[in-house]
Amino acid sequence: MAKHRAIGPSAWIVGAAGLIIGVGAAWLVNQGNPGNMGLCIACFNRDITGAFGGAWANMGGVAYLRPEIIGLLFGGTVAALATREFRPRGGSSVLLRFVLGFIFMVSSLIFLGCTVRAWLRLGGGDLNALYGITGIVVGVSVGAVFLKQGFNLGRAKVMTPVTGWVGTAIMAILLVLALMVALGNSPGFLTTTPAGAKATAEGAVVQGDTVLKPEGATLVDGAVVAEDGTVISPAESVEKAPPMPGGRRAPLLISIVAGLALGVVAQRTRFCSMGGIRDVVLVRRFDLLFAVIGLLVGATIANMAFGQYNLGFTGQPVAHTDALGNFAAMVVAGLSALMLGGCPFRQVIMSGEGDADATVAVLGMFAGALAAHRFVIASTGAGLSDTAWPALAVMLAVLLVIAFVKRERLA
Amino acid sequence: MVEVDARGLSCPLPVMRTKKALDAGPDALVVLVDSGTAKANVTNMLADEGYSVTVTEEPDHSRIEAHRS
Repeated sequence: MAKHRAIGPSAWIVGAAGLIIGVGAAWLVNQGNPGNMGLCIACFNRDITGAFGGAWANMGGVAYLRPEIIGLLFGGTVAALATREFRPRGGSSVLLRFVLGFIFMVSSLIFLGCTVRAWLRLGGGDLNALYGITGIVVGVSVGAVFLKQGFNLGRAKVMTPVTGWVGTAIMAILLVLALMVALGNSPGFLTTTPAGAKATAEGAVVQGDTVLKPEGATLVDGAVVAEDGTVISPAESVEKAPPMPGGRRAPLLISIVAGLALGVVAQRTRFCSMGGIRDVVLVRRFDLLFAVIGLLVGATIANMAFGQYNLGFTGQPVAHTDALGNFAAMVVAGLSALMLGGCPFRQVIMSGEGDADATVAVLGMFAGALAAHRFVIASTGAGLSDTAWPALAVMLAVLLVIAFVKRERLA
Repeated sequence: MVEVDARGLSCPLPVMRTKKALDAGPDALVVLVDSGTAKANVTNMLADEGYSVTVTEEPDHSRIEAHRS
């Protein structure tokens, strides 16, 4: 037997990428992004969806065209073009990839974070993430069995340039819209969560000293009082109201430049938040695992440096404490990411590299976000919704059917 | 020479198929890939398994040739 290395030199490169992304994410929180959500592919794609879904989809509090996503995808395109890796390709089980993206998003919104944010949450001291990460490991391990039995979505083929540019073009349109919103010229069909706004348990929305919802209400001694004098939210409720995630954001320029830089880093290093666990389980290779180790170490150190580290289970930003729910949701998310061939971060980057299948997976995520909020499947800080468990059961069943149907006879 | 055609396959199939081909302990093999990620992952694994690797760029794919060093 020739020499064999379980950990090669690429481990340090991808580990460094994880470190940079972890530090970058913690810094984006410091710059205004939601807690432990400096960079979350599921949450930020959800926020982009919320800008279109608005109140109709119960997304008024999570509506913002996140420039980080736009930057990441552009970063993938720029790096791929510079290294001649931009290759228009697609046609591998397109509809199933849409479904997998959809399921990934809905399950992530039950956990409240994707396979990237799970590590960022842990890096912020949120111990609930441990259940989620355990779920990812289980989901990926189940998927590894499917892969060994021949699961394969089929080969992608070379496509026309137009097809390859769709992902980048969608982001270019979103960038134009984001700039219009930033310049105070928002198109009427877009919703943007007011910056720094918070929502009370009774449904009132307060921004500083102004009551945005319901109309005509005012703040009287800290309580939200309607025009006719009835108290809508008592002062203690207003005091306790959590900030609306969509209203917490770093300045646009910082967000887009950070996204662009991290996109280039991720494209060059093949950063993936799921592949490391998969490779360990499947082929006993440890290189990619350093991506999430780096992410965790970087986020932990930077969060401590910024004074954002808060160790424990309760009082964590945009999180709930349902251990079994956290675990089960990430089993489903981990399995769907494995079946897609890469985590949502990678889907965004690959979409920028001309991979139309990855673009379809991202569109599936948008659709999943819309459904998760419109049908109230997504969790809140209070816990799981009534439909979360049935939704997880159905999604798991769909994944198993896809895995069964897409088996290839192995020679 | 053993040839693995991993063009168009999603992660981690290029690596899995290459690993399977390696199980027979070939002195040389060729892997065809058409994405930068597959190229990097397969090249890294072959290097870690003790092969010397040369990559040739064809018009729409990369040809990875590995010899036991």
